[in-house]
Amino acid sequence: MATIIKSYEPTFWDKIYIPALVKGLMVTLRHFFKRKITIQYPDEKHIPPEGYRGLHRLNKYPNDRIKCVACEMCSAACPVDCIHIVPGPSPWEGDKERYPVRFDIDLLRCIFCGFCEMACPEEAIELTEIYDFSNYTRESLLIDKEGLLEVYELTKDRNFYSRVKSKESQS
Amino acid sequence: MPLLKIDSLEIEVEKGTTVLQAAMVNGIEIPYYCYHPALEIVGSCRMCLVEVEGMPKLQVSCNTFVGEAPPERKIEGKYDMVVNTHNDLVIQERKNVLEFLLLNHPLDCPVCDQAGECYLQDYSFKFGNAHSRFDEDKRVRPNEYLGSQIVINHNRCILCSRCIRFTREISGTSELFVEARGNKSKIAALEDKPLDNLLAGNVADICPVGALLSTDYIHKNRIWNLKKQPSVCQDCSVGCNVDVFYQKDKILRLTPRENHDVNGYFMCDIGRYGFHRFEDLDRITTPMARSNGSFSAVSWDEAIRKTADKLGDEGAKIAGIVSPFHTNETNFMLGQIINGPTGTLPQMNDEEIIYQSGFRISNDRSPNRRGMSDVCPALLEDLVSEIDNQDVRMIYVLDDGIDREIDDVWKKILAKMDFVVVQTYAMTTLAQSANIILPGPAPYEREGTITNDGGRVQWLRPSLPMKGESRADWEILMMVMKALDKDAQDFTDIGQVMKDMGEKFPAYDGLSFFRLGPHGMSLNGRANG
Amino acid sequence: MDLLGFIIICVKVLVVFAATMFTVLALIYAERRISAFMQGRIGPNRVGPKGILQPIADGIKFLMKEDIIPASVDKPIFILAPAILLVPAMMTFAVIPFGSNITLFGREIPLQIADVNVGILYILALTSIGVYGIVLAGWSSNNKYSLLGGLRSAAQLISYELAMGLAVISIILLAGSLKLNDIVADQQGYFFSWNVVKQPVAFLIFLVATYAETNRLPFDLSEAEQELVGGYHTEYSSMKFAMFFMAEYANMITAAALTVTLFFGGWDVPLINEASLGMVGVLLSVISFILKMAFFLFLFIWVRWTFPRFRYDQLMKLGWKVMLPIALINIFITAGYLSITALV
Repeated sequence: MATIIKSYEPTFWDKIYIPALVKGLMVTLRHFFKRKITIQYPDEKHIPPEGYRGLHRLNKYPNDRIKCVACEMCSAACPVDCIHIVPGPSPWEGDKERYPVRFDIDLLRCIFCGFCEMACPEEAIELTEIYDFSNYTRESLLIDKEGLLEVYELTKDRNFYSRVKSKESQS
Repeated sequence: MPLLKIDSLEIEVEKGTTVLQAAMVNGIEIPYYCYHPALEIVGSCRMCLVEVEGMPKLQVSCNTFVGEAPPERKIEGKYDMVVNTHNDLVIQERKNVLEFLLLNHPLDCPVCDQAGECYLQDYSFKFGNAHSRFDEDKRVRPNEYLGSQIVINHNRCILCSRCIRFTREISGTSELFVEARGNKSKIAALEDKPLDNLLAGNVADICPVGALLSTDYIHKNRIWNLKKQPSVCQDCSVGCNVDVFYQKDKILRLTPRENHDVNGYFMCDIGRYGFHRFEDLDRITTPMARSNGSFSAVSWDEAIRKTADKLGDEGAKIAGIVSPFHTNETNFMLGQIINGPTGTLPQMNDEEIIYQSGFRISNDRSPNRRGMSDVCPALLEDLVSEIDNQDVRMIYVLDDGIDREIDDVWKKILAKMDFVVVQTYAMTTLAQSANIILPGPAPYEREGTITNDGGRVQWLRPSLPMKGESRADWEILMMVMKALDKDAQDFTDIGQVMKDMGEKFPAYDGLSFFRLGPHGMSLNGRANG
Repeated sequence: MDLLGFIIICVKVLVVFAATMFTVLALIYAERRISAFMQGRIGPNRVGPKGILQPIADGIKFLMKEDIIPASVDKPIFILAPAILLVPAMMTFAVIPFGSNITLFGREIPLQIADVNVGILYILALTSIGVYGIVLAGWSSNNKYSLLGGLRSAAQLISYELAMGLAVISIILLAGSLKLNDIVADQQGYFFSWNVVKQPVAFLIFLVATYAETNRLPFDLSEAEQELVGGYHTEYSSMKFAMFFMAEYANMITAAALTVTLFFGGWDVPLINEASLGMVGVLLSVISFILKMAFFLFLFIWVRWTFPRFRYDQLMKLGWKVMLPIALINIFITAGYLSITALV
């Protein structure tokens, strides 16, 4: 059985609309004087929150050995198959005998889900806060191992955008 | 026959069967490392412990044999033996055993090539603890070469001794042994006798963990990236069953596939690493025609038309050379086209090796000599003199491939010919003397049946895609046949070729890939065509 | 008319025209800036300081753009339509007094281009011509969206012009004249002499009707983007589109000026007798007029970014079933009151 819900009964003031209109106008007027939330993007950069999933990076040990051991768990976990790894015997002396000869990520395919980061047993691949890496050609959006290590150097201290900001304010 | 009860299952088994075998055959899983059906039982890993009622301690199921109990001692009045494989005691025991096995294991699965097909991984996941109580430092040892192709990672080794038993029982060469005792024990090769026999590659296969590694595959790829194609080895006439592991159009490794009628559980290193010969070959991928001493690519239509024009000449004498490297179907098709003298190039002999276990590497390093002679019955012993006698001026050659070396006699014959057609996949010496080259598939791209020297027909399955414009061998021959005779039978797939072959040669009657299955079919006892 | 008189008229025309055009530009900037502020944004701030040169940049952009005339349009009408809309919009301002009389060269000059004795009628007539521009644009575009937009606009203008006219009649009754100058003069004095106090109902009706007349939200059904792409100007581009754009803002200026004139005492500064203050008085009156107008222009923009669009049936219902009867009743009461006071 259908339930009859008592609908809203407009009062006289509701019926002449004018108070409601004024109320509406006041809302926009209040916003007119509020602080603006626009960020002037190329001039000032949004600093993403902790855990933001942007451009990838490959981490290094303090002795410069790349953390990645080319286990390919990331490419196995990748839902869009954008990670391509060629493994090889590591040139460094030490316990980890394997390293990636090539490590390519197709950024055009990548959906930035972060599964690679979660799958990585060596904490080698990570998603950084960098979000503005658009480019004009497809080729330039295929990032290789050297590129990923460069990203590591840029984002080592997790302050990529704030550093850029302070540099700009200095100059 | 003794009546056995495993968990809730009643099983009647032969006397002398082990509990592990009885369980495996009946689909009850008991984990094990050291047991291997082809090797002697040692019961050293303790992974297969089960509870046998009436015995005070848990027993290793791989080394516990089922016997007949006297009537008064039968359990519940009828069972000769009652085994529990999944009660709390056994489950706890498995956890303990795994914890011990993993004491010194480095858990470096990310860099280990066994990861993905590792029993230690699988069983730890299924039966093991999630953590270890071992707080001390793990024992760390450097990797060592046991032979030129085999590396051992001592840290991962669980000392199951499968590899040692393999060298003692299968290859009979006994290079490996356990060095030292207790915590210091490790697998080692004799100083003056490294693990370099032709079966050495098998120890990497039978190693249940990632301790023994083949240098050929180490750090190349990951197992889950590879596709597995059951096929047959094409490097000698034994025809070992293999699994071809490949990614895209590259073979990464070959492993033996179990077939008790052919190779058992193993294969030799000649076949195992043989596929490297075909990598990075300078392949012929389009039909080629020679004019003024140099080859130029032509279309299929043109190549076939040129071939048929010459071969179709009235009164032309054409010789055919079939090949033991090609499939039965290809040889059969050529036999149907050529009416002149048919033969083959001289056999290339090599050393025959027979191991202690009976494992054999044939002296004939071509895979299909038996099948070739079965489907081309009129093969001439002395083709050379027959060509001279009959004054043959044209010849159609199925090329043996890159392994074939031509002697001077044949070079002379080929030079004399007016017209030579060579069906091949690379620019071999034979192909260089051709007028027309028709590109076919290379080994591991071919499909069809081959017959080993024991008379077993096996299904040769392609693992790699064909390159460029090349076509299946039977298809090329069918195009030639159609061009010569418009009324020739039209085959649309290789199954029809097999059917036609069966009609002409009763030994091959009723063959199909479905009937051959993974293990092939013996011709012995069939009518011989 | 002597030469000086002619020159004075010319100067007045030029000043008013320039002022109107400038206001249009300022309005475009104001509209974008105000809407941005109301939405928490910043708005245009790149061209010139604080972005004030944005309308100039927009204008240049419009000039540079390719003028596309689609193949199947009715070409002469298609080209004429924007002009038909824009010219009356600019002409309407001619009769609006924007300050008290100024004494120059020994003669008294009214700050008004033409003191027409049927000023109100002139305004109503010209705004009605403007709708031709829209209907013709819609029709000549040979496009279903444009046509629908044009038709909606015509229907809407007819509906609201009635209410608007009736609202104005009550003012005329009070002033006893169609001359805008007389109406302004009638409101001289202090706040309570403004018509908005005397005729609040008429003011509300008139205000709502002006929004409908200028096709501004919440009554912009003729160009409702969500349904009609661009309405009557779907097919227009480049400077022709800019003319529609300018006409809309010119109409807004006229409407605001008219509202001020009819209901807020025109250029009147409350409690001050401008005529007795000489030049200062004139200046005060002009500033007062501009400020009042600015408020109504702001209101136009404010309302646009606050209220959603009416549905078509709601629009018609409001026009015919609410505003028209109320306007009639208002006239009846006003006229009754006037006749009673006249009797007394």
